[in-house]
Amino acid sequence: MAELTYLEAISDGLRTEMRRDESVFCLGEDIGAFGGAFKVTAGFAEEFGPERVLDTPLAENAIVGAATGAAIEGMRPVCEMQFADFIACGFDQLVNVAAKLHYRQGQSVPLVVRLPSGGGFSGGPFHSQNPEAWFLQAPGLKVVAPATAADAKGLLASAIRDPNPVCFLEHKGLYRHVRDEVPEGEYTVPLGKARVAREGGELTVIAYGSAVPLALAAAEALEEDIEVLDLRSLCPLDTEAILASARKTGKVLIAHEATRACGVGAEVAALIGAEAFEDLDGPIRRLTAADVPIPFSPPLEQEVLPQLDDMKEACRELLAY
Amino acid sequence: MSSSPTDVTEVARTMEIAMPQMGISVAEGTIVEWRKQPGDHVEADEPVCDVSTDKVDVEIPAPVAGRLARIVAQPGETVEVGAVLAELEVGGGSEPDHSRVYSPIVRRMAADNHIDLEQVEGHGVGGRVRKADLVAFLEEHRERPLHTESPYKPEPEEPPTLVSHRETSVDVLGPTRRETMSPMRKQIAAHMVESRHTAAHCTTVVEVDFGRIAARRAELRPRMADRGVNLTYLAFVAREVVAALEGHPILNASIDGEEIVHHSDVNLGIAVALEDGLIVPVIRQAQRLSLEGMAAAIGDLAARAREKRLQPDDVQGGTFTITNPGQFGAVLATPIINSPQVAILDLEAVVKRPVVIESGGEDSIAIRPMSYLCMSWDHRALDGAEAARFLGELREGLERGRTE
Amino acid sequence: MTLSDASAVMGAAVPLDPALLTRADRAELLRFMTMMRVAEERALSLYKQGKVPGSFYDGRGQEAISVGAAFALSPRDRLCILHRDLGAHFVRGVTPDRYLANYMGRADGVTGGKDGNLHFGDRARGCVGMVSMLPDMALVANGMALAMKMRGEPRVALTFFGEGSTANGQWHEAMNFAGIQRLPVVFVLENNRFAYSTPNELEFAADPVERAEGYGLPGVEVDGNDVEAVFAAVHAAVERARAGGGPTLVECQTMRMHGHGAHDDMGYVPPELLAEWEARDPIQSYAARLLEEFGFAAEEVERIDAEVRAYVGECAERALASPLPEPSAALEGVFADRWEPLGDGAAPWSGWAEPGDRPAAAPSVPPPPGPTIERRAA
Repeated sequence: MAELTYLEAISDGLRTEMRRDESVFCLGEDIGAFGGAFKVTAGFAEEFGPERVLDTPLAENAIVGAATGAAIEGMRPVCEMQFADFIACGFDQLVNVAAKLHYRQGQSVPLVVRLPSGGGFSGGPFHSQNPEAWFLQAPGLKVVAPATAADAKGLLASAIRDPNPVCFLEHKGLYRHVRDEVPEGEYTVPLGKARVAREGGELTVIAYGSAVPLALAAAEALEEDIEVLDLRSLCPLDTEAILASARKTGKVLIAHEATRACGVGAEVAALIGAEAFEDLDGPIRRLTAADVPIPFSPPLEQEVLPQLDDMKEACRELLAY
Repeated sequence: MSSSPTDVTEVARTMEIAMPQMGISVAEGTIVEWRKQPGDHVEADEPVCDVSTDKVDVEIPAPVAGRLARIVAQPGETVEVGAVLAELEVGGGSEPDHSRVYSPIVRRMAADNHIDLEQVEGHGVGGRVRKADLVAFLEEHRERPLHTESPYKPEPEEPPTLVSHRETSVDVLGPTRRETMSPMRKQIAAHMVESRHTAAHCTTVVEVDFGRIAARRAELRPRMADRGVNLTYLAFVAREVVAALEGHPILNASIDGEEIVHHSDVNLGIAVALEDGLIVPVIRQAQRLSLEGMAAAIGDLAARAREKRLQPDDVQGGTFTITNPGQFGAVLATPIINSPQVAILDLEAVVKRPVVIESGGEDSIAIRPMSYLCMSWDHRALDGAEAARFLGELREGLERGRTE
Repeated sequence: MTLSDASAVMGAAVPLDPALLTRADRAELLRFMTMMRVAEERALSLYKQGKVPGSFYDGRGQEAISVGAAFALSPRDRLCILHRDLGAHFVRGVTPDRYLANYMGRADGVTGGKDGNLHFGDRARGCVGMVSMLPDMALVANGMALAMKMRGEPRVALTFFGEGSTANGQWHEAMNFAGIQRLPVVFVLENNRFAYSTPNELEFAADPVERAEGYGLPGVEVDGNDVEAVFAAVHAAVERARAGGGPTLVECQTMRMHGHGAHDDMGYVPPELLAEWEARDPIQSYAARLLEEFGFAAEEVERIDAEVRAYVGECAERALASPLPEPSAALEGVFADRWEPLGDGAAPWSGWAEPGDRPAAAPSVPPPPGPTIERRAA
């Protein structure tokens, strides 16, 4: 075990997989000699050579398309979007080609798209988005969003080894602020398995990504009997863990930094409403970003993104219900 | 962030919603229906019920935001202005009483453990019995038997057979459906029958060549449309009526007992057909309006009438009425006077007809856009010659262009 | 731009080394083109009989391109095939029954009913099915070529697209990326004059073959109705790619002789243009050439036609006998549980006769008595 930041854990996971399997390679903008916009691949070009840490032109469809073709041919490409927001420019290759190939003709496409996502640092409307819901409407894509350094490493390894296209949402706000014990060497965390981040009996906060530390902080501050379920994978969704926790506490708050309408929260709420209705002791509520683009100026951004006080207030309301 | 609104705790107080004074002569109103039920949250100015007065149907808005606590005036009840219609609980702290509202898990646990939930004290918002409250209750009563309800369930009684007490056999009519007249229909019925009984109805008809009006309308219409005004034949007729009434004040009058009341203003009533009835909003001081002003006023009233946004004052004080069934293609009618006014003018469809025209001493047949103007008038106030003169002048104005 | 204009600009149709094609190869080329023509005619008649759901597309008049291009590939090369390239599927070993079954949404179609018409690629034959967005597959072909290059394998990826695709931004991304990385990829552009109804002059101001140079790769223009010319150009491009020389754009000038789909009456095409190209029908003209230049007897050519017609007829019967898929199959296969490599396609060209590369199947048209079959040296 070593204590690593979330960012270091992603690097560690990627490096470990590249050492383990020669077919794993990275491609993206400025990832080679420069080491990537966030330095996830710093030092990689020296270790693995420029071919396996491939600097691409500024062409997101070319990146995802090349990864798709290489994956069909048996490589394990890991694409880096410089910011998650830019996947919009490579969306066609992802949702129309990669996502549907197995369904249409049995062709597995084992690729990973790394998506530095999220706001909280005045990135503005094009460097702060949490686009996970876009992918969840494209059957054939798996989607993961780790909240801890250990999960970041373990889920990235599993995503690389998975025979399907996987969107790996790495929250930029967690890069250097989350630090925890990470197993050394090869380490995987299975896709589709949620994690009970905190046990409790009165209220469940279902969260992922940046909302997990927020929920944990709120639970500590309130000193209440709150359970925090970290989804980790958004597709496949761990429906068993969600229903078990909802049935246990009877009250559910779903929290995410992505916008509200038709988001993961809506899906989870509908699942609980349909499957665990008889166990509910209160309304299923959501704490999310407002349905607006992410604004630039700090007070505006704070208004839009869920803050600790919002989380505490939402928990208090449901506990009192 | 966006999360569910937080309830603020403060002392609740009750506020009354009273029957408002709507217009100068409204003294009472009948509740048509309640849009909100006790327990419902209402926003300030959100309609809570519909009230029908003898003039118009109106929505009663909530004076402030709150929760509807009690309905005082039931649908069908007629109450005076100022009377209490309902009670509103205001102040954010007015958490609705939820002490007897149970969540699915509470209901299920109660059923499984044979608990009468009335015995459980709730500590949730509004006194809700939470799962935690029930768990505590179960802990407390673990030793004692909880089952207090007798397992005996008597057979349900036979439901009474429904007997029709109607005397008239409906068989000869085939299948029928009955509905109560809406308040509006009842009012129209009463008013029309009364007018028919009191006024001495006569109807005079003139035929008018709308050729010039059609041309003027075509010429002016696009410009007015740019300004958002729809120029109709009716606007031309209304404008000419106002002009013609100036020389025939007896037609801009009303009868009050044995007196004839002459009005200095022309308050022009325009009949507007609604889906379920008819309403006659009034253009006040119509003599001050230009053609465009008239068209705009007609458009505004008709729109508000159809959207049920008329206020009681909008439908009072008419001195002369125009009705316009011609828009639906009718060519002749004998309207009923809108008493106590003395006349009502009926504009029929403008249709192309072959007519004989004289030009340079020669007769010839031409195709002209023609229409009948039918006016019902009260023989108690005037006689046929006066009615004919008025209509002649009106025709003259429309055909030759006296005003605009 | 007419064919002669374009040739004047670009020159450079690749001269065919006469040693490359044997007599048997030439019979195969005619056979595959005929098979495409006959199978598509049969599919169109099934469409008109209401047996084909959705819409219908074919590649009439373009048979020489998909057959000639695919003929130049080795078993281990990879292909992204488009909707006017049925001949390439046949060259790789897909049989007409599976093509017809796919059109009819049957269980035995290549996609088992998951996708329609020519939206398929037979994994077992080294092919990846197209998507409707064009030219998306050019980027996928790049990726396959990138994998081959990274592993140092002497293999090539080939993809087709129409001239309309060259107007799309992804075409630029594909050409640029292939040029930068010198990928072993061959882009076969079928300029069939119309992208649905849009003529060349509304798709681009500069012909794609001229633009190739701007991406750092050669552009070659050939008569797309001459199967040997297409073969020669693609063969040269494949050799170049295999040797590490990078990508080539081969623009094949042709004419789409049917509407965009069966629903399109082509009212926008001048009749004289159609007549001009009808006279240059790739199958008729190649059959004539086999008689005149290569000493084929009339009965040989007729036999190829008769055999193909009988074979496609049998295939159609099999396709019609294929059941519709079980509805529950619609819910299966969204995710893979393992990766499996693409299979190797058939490579009927005699040049791949080296041990290990030659597919087991014997040529379906036995070589007539005559000169010894020439074999291309390794």
